[in-house]
Amino acid sequence: MIGNDVVDLDLARHQSNWRRKGYLDKIYTSEEQLLIAAAAHPDQMLWLLWSMKESAYKIHNRKTGIRNFAPTALACKLISLDGEIKGAVTVDHQTYFTKSEFSLTYVHTIASASVNKLLDIAIKIYSQPNHPEDYKSLAADCVSHHGKYLALVYG
Amino acid sequence: MSNEEIINKLKPIITTYAPVSEALDNLNEDSDFIKDLNINSANLVDIILDVEEEFGITIDNTSMEKMLTVKASIEVIKEKLNEK
Repeated sequence: MIGNDVVDLDLARHQSNWRRKGYLDKIYTSEEQLLIAAAAHPDQMLWLLWSMKESAYKIHNRKTGIRNFAPTALACKLISLDGEIKGAVTVDHQTYFTKSEFSLTYVHTIASASVNKLLDIAIKIYSQPNHPEDYKSLAADCVSHHGKYLALVYG
Repeated sequence: MSNEEIINKLKPIITTYAPVSEALDNLNEDSDFIKDLNINSANLVDIILDVEEEFGITIDNTSMEKMLTVKASIEVIKEKLNEK
């Protein structure tokens, strides 16, 4: 099982005011808040961690059948930031490995319980107005849609 | 506070974050924030912060976990109002 999540950084900037009081505490662990505070680009770090949580949640939710909104229970760790951004998300004693990429206007993360599986995942990212007419027919293993972007992954 | 009074206070909060839709016009206890109202998951936390302000309550992370529908939100709000 694989998961993915795309964040349209322009839309996120308008849609979410993460600097409002109480916001960070409801989504990020204290360790993650330190990463955000220490980052050269706090916005990018914040949405990177968010996309890691979301991509891991998409696998965990399908696996357990439990739907909830518990972002602080998905704890992120960054393993490498050089070139490829690699990380791990732990929830209920289960770890999911992640790989993320930035463009100027989006961040996209893929997740899998197996670190080797990440190498085999094929990624297709569409930007409006070039979305496929019927993405459901493209039978992706996981789909993420935010703002201008539609991200399909196969693994 | 009755369920109806709570929904009336919730509606303007939800409207801020939900795209215009028929499901939003017909907002009711069974409405699901993500599946029916198409609210972005990153905005769920804004709804929860607005609810805290509007009702003068604090929602801990365990209660927040359940708040994916209007019905679940009403239950949490009632519980927290009773604790006040």
